[in-house]
Amino acid sequence: MNLTEDNILFLYEMADVIIAGLTTGSVYALMAVGMTLVYGVTKAFNFAYGDFFNMGGYFAWILIVGLGVQFGGYLTILAIVMPIMFVVGYGLEKLMVAPLRKRADWENKVMMLTLGLALFLTSLYSVVFGVRLKSLPPIVDGMVEVGQLAFTYQDIMIFVMSLGGILLFGWLLNNTRIGMAVQAVAQNPEGAKIVGIPQARIFAATFAISTVMVGFGGILLSQKWFINPMSGSTIMIKAWVVTAFGGMGSIRGGLYAAFIIGMLEAFVGWMFGMSYSIIALFILLLATLALRPQGLMGKGK
Amino acid sequence: MRLKHMAAIIGVSYGTLAILPVFVGDVRFIMNILIMCVIWAVVASCWDVMMGFAGIFSFGQVAFFVIGAYCSGILASSHHITPVVSILIAGLFTAGMGVLVGLPCLKLAGPYVALVTFGVHMALKPTLRGEIGIALGSGGSLGLLTIPPINIFGYQFSSTNIVPTFYLALLLSLACVLVIMFVIKSYWGIAFLALKDSQDFSMSLGVSAFKYKLMVFALTSFLTGIIGAFYGHFYGVLSPRMLDLDLFSTLMVMMLIGGLGLFPGSILGAFIVMAGSELMAPLGAYRAVTMGALVVILVLALPNGVMGLFLKRSASRVPTG
Repeated sequence: MNLTEDNILFLYEMADVIIAGLTTGSVYALMAVGMTLVYGVTKAFNFAYGDFFNMGGYFAWILIVGLGVQFGGYLTILAIVMPIMFVVGYGLEKLMVAPLRKRADWENKVMMLTLGLALFLTSLYSVVFGVRLKSLPPIVDGMVEVGQLAFTYQDIMIFVMSLGGILLFGWLLNNTRIGMAVQAVAQNPEGAKIVGIPQARIFAATFAISTVMVGFGGILLSQKWFINPMSGSTIMIKAWVVTAFGGMGSIRGGLYAAFIIGMLEAFVGWMFGMSYSIIALFILLLATLALRPQGLMGKGK
Repeated sequence: MRLKHMAAIIGVSYGTLAILPVFVGDVRFIMNILIMCVIWAVVASCWDVMMGFAGIFSFGQVAFFVIGAYCSGILASSHHITPVVSILIAGLFTAGMGVLVGLPCLKLAGPYVALVTFGVHMALKPTLRGEIGIALGSGGSLGLLTIPPINIFGYQFSSTNIVPTFYLALLLSLACVLVIMFVIKSYWGIAFLALKDSQDFSMSLGVSAFKYKLMVFALTSFLTGIIGAFYGHFYGVLSPRMLDLDLFSTLMVMMLIGGLGLFPGSILGAFIVMAGSELMAPLGAYRAVTMGALVVILVLALPNGVMGLFLKRSASRVPTG
């Protein structure tokens, strides 16, 4: 091998880009799985999804910076914030989405309602927390060096924790009573009703689980980036593009799409600058939908 | 709703607005609000035709508005085209964009359409702010700052002579609204409704979904582009911040208050929301919070908006009506 210095530098740079793509991809996967689950099971589309991402970040910020919780680090934070997110999601579904279900065009009404909720939360965050960005301390400080490559522990933790979250979620879905009930409702709502699965409660639980997942993603990414009250719609659109690209309702499609899009974003950002990433995403999505209207792995009609 | 009733509601609401300058013509601030009222009335109505009548869940209306405004603004300020011509070009350009956006939407359903159209909305902001936009003359994140006012035969319609400008806006808006009304009541409108209610069945009867859905996109984006271009020339300043969620949800509140799919409703909605939003001005930063909460409450509590209440009353009075 006779690699010149430039070639080696280029390879290292590529490796950096790939690591960045994997890290963001793993968090996108977490969010896309949550979103695709809600859509697949309840057919409700949640526009305030990105604001729940920020909600997770803000709850963590309140605990760490506001209240100065030190004990147990992020494990304590997760143990406190995740149940709160669950309750918030459950309550919102019961209060706002469930009453709409009886109406004829409820799917559109849910979109409008959650869009209003998104505006409410976004502006509430900027009123309560101010428009300045908030930062969280990293989960673990420091980095490990392999040759000339440097991996921050933070990136590794994000990758491991979000993959862990997805695996845990997959295990819950396949091995617990509630997980199986969720799958049953997704496959055949009428049949599930007949065998006595409480549909309304499953809908609310699914909504709550997705809120927990996106909140978890919010905590993970907020300590890498920042918490920005206005970022809800950007996050939402990314999760949405990932979900649609993978096929709405398909969890495996969402996983593949998340990593493809995370990589795409990292490469486009590296070559052309970050502001082009959303345009690139959009072009990719349009091209995919033109060829496969149901997304990568979605079920056709 | 019958054509007669639609025309009556439009006539009364626009007539009332037309009289108002006699009393408040010298208060610039109120005249500004009135002009905004007639502008948003058109945008909200176009959106309503798209969502309520054609049942296409499009979130691109604000994007089309901004495209129209920027197109005409760039043509007039960088290429020195006289505003009346540039407004027409902007309308046609926006209609073209509408068809372009509409094409991929034909094959898609529900949330996918919303995603594609909202994606246009989201991608427009970085485009306008980035190098592409600057190359076209969008002025980057500052926006367009010096758009010349409309000038017809040497007479300038600017904010210095605001009463004639208001009447021009009123006429333009009325023309757009009348076009919408006649389209809804024509064969087209019935085709829209048929496609919304059951696409497969109406296609089997020979209604072309392809043709009519593209027509909806072309028509609504044309009108929205024209009124957006007018907005640009009246305001003189455009910024990519118009694409924030704020304006988007304000328009949605207008539609919801008016009643989705109950056509002249969104005009009333626009007037009510403009008045209400000025009343909420003392709330300051809490205004957006209130607006968001209002959307949630309206969707839950008032499914058919003001027109719904109105229709319910007239239905109980005349049972056969």
